[in-house]
Amino acid sequence: MPPRLSNTPLRAPVNVTWEITEACNLRCSHCLSAELRAQRRGELDLAQCRTVIDELATMEVFQVNFGGGEPFLRDDFLDILRYAHAQGITTCVSTNGTVLSDALVDELLRMAPVYLQVSLDGACPETNDAIRGRGTFHRILAGIELLAERRYPDFSLNMVVTRPNVGEIAEFDRLARRYGAKTRLSRFRPSGGGCNTWEDYHLTRSQLVELSSFLGEHQEILTGDSFFALTPDSRRALGLNMCGAAKMTCAVAPDGGVYPCAFLSDPAFLAGDVTAEPLAAIFESSPVFKRFREIEIESCRSCDRFSICQGGCPAVAYFLTDSVGRPDPECLRAAVPAKEVA
Amino acid sequence: MASTEQDEEGCLQTEYLVPDWVRVRRESFGLLFYDTRSTRLTFVRSGLVLSPPPFTGPRRALLVDAVTGSRRAALSRLLRSLVAKGLIVASETQ
Repeated sequence: MPPRLSNTPLRAPVNVTWEITEACNLRCSHCLSAELRAQRRGELDLAQCRTVIDELATMEVFQVNFGGGEPFLRDDFLDILRYAHAQGITTCVSTNGTVLSDALVDELLRMAPVYLQVSLDGACPETNDAIRGRGTFHRILAGIELLAERRYPDFSLNMVVTRPNVGEIAEFDRLARRYGAKTRLSRFRPSGGGCNTWEDYHLTRSQLVELSSFLGEHQEILTGDSFFALTPDSRRALGLNMCGAAKMTCAVAPDGGVYPCAFLSDPAFLAGDVTAEPLAAIFESSPVFKRFREIEIESCRSCDRFSICQGGCPAVAYFLTDSVGRPDPECLRAAVPAKEVA
Repeated sequence: MASTEQDEEGCLQTEYLVPDWVRVRRESFGLLFYDTRSTRLTFVRSGLVLSPPPFTGPRRALLVDAVTGSRRAALSRLLRSLVAKGLIVASETQ
């Protein structure tokens, strides 16, 4: 069988995750960026951001996914979005929704399409607020209502699936539909603040199996950062279900540090710094990225699911086993026998 | 000339433009398309036969190299499938 083109090395990322700020008005217990924020390494100024965007355009990167922190807390964030659009780059913003206002939503509507992901971690205040902070459910919902009132065309509600909220997925999906939003489910990983909450939040084996089955039955639900190791065969045609870190994507931290992905923003995986060298050179030549591209999880090769997940998420493997070369510890095959997973 | 050959000939003589909502870039296997409306990627094994236009700008034309023999039919099919996916459009000026 010829190799899939999606496995062919690309000359540039397809999309780049850019944590544009450390600033955040919430303190979510599973925050991916909690460690970065604690280190207070500073962030790129507007001129530096424009230089990075120029490089992204030269590399012909299609999409930038902005996150943080809360991107809209940056005073110059709309300028950054406008500049990216002017270079032909599509933007997606992950926001906690609490700072959305009439004026901000109107401004976003005037721009080129900005895909918005609003984070909400439960279908009710009790569940969400235990994770994202007291009173946040209603504050986030107020932002969602602003988007719904204006029929914002491209927004999704994003829930990081954890043990406290996994039982609310169906209700969460109904809530999203009520507001005209898509449902996006993201995988909880033990990176950043997730290290400290892993024991309480990670799904049990039976919950992983149930989630996989649910995703198979609800193909319209987005899973942007892929549950590779859980993907049922029925979702295979929906997209690229393998890890794209250092191959199709990479991450830029607020201070300009470059990593294979946002979930591996760990000193061991620092590939370069956009303030010191061009992103194209980092992507092409960084020893960290080269090593990352060569990872082969030999123990998974004989598995019948290997073509679907390619061994799963290296970030989860790294934080739980201290090695990116081990199989994803949340592998579905490890949870149930082969005949029950198809 | 048989009608399928005429279709093929017409297909290869048409000028194709990349619409505003599509980005395309060259990769080692051929072209990589990105539809900004869906964020969907399309990998196209076209080698050097198709050349992408600039990343942005007005009137971005896809350059199609001359090919012969059986490759003409394959290229014609490929162009039709890209049109069907909305990734290129036949120029109305032709």
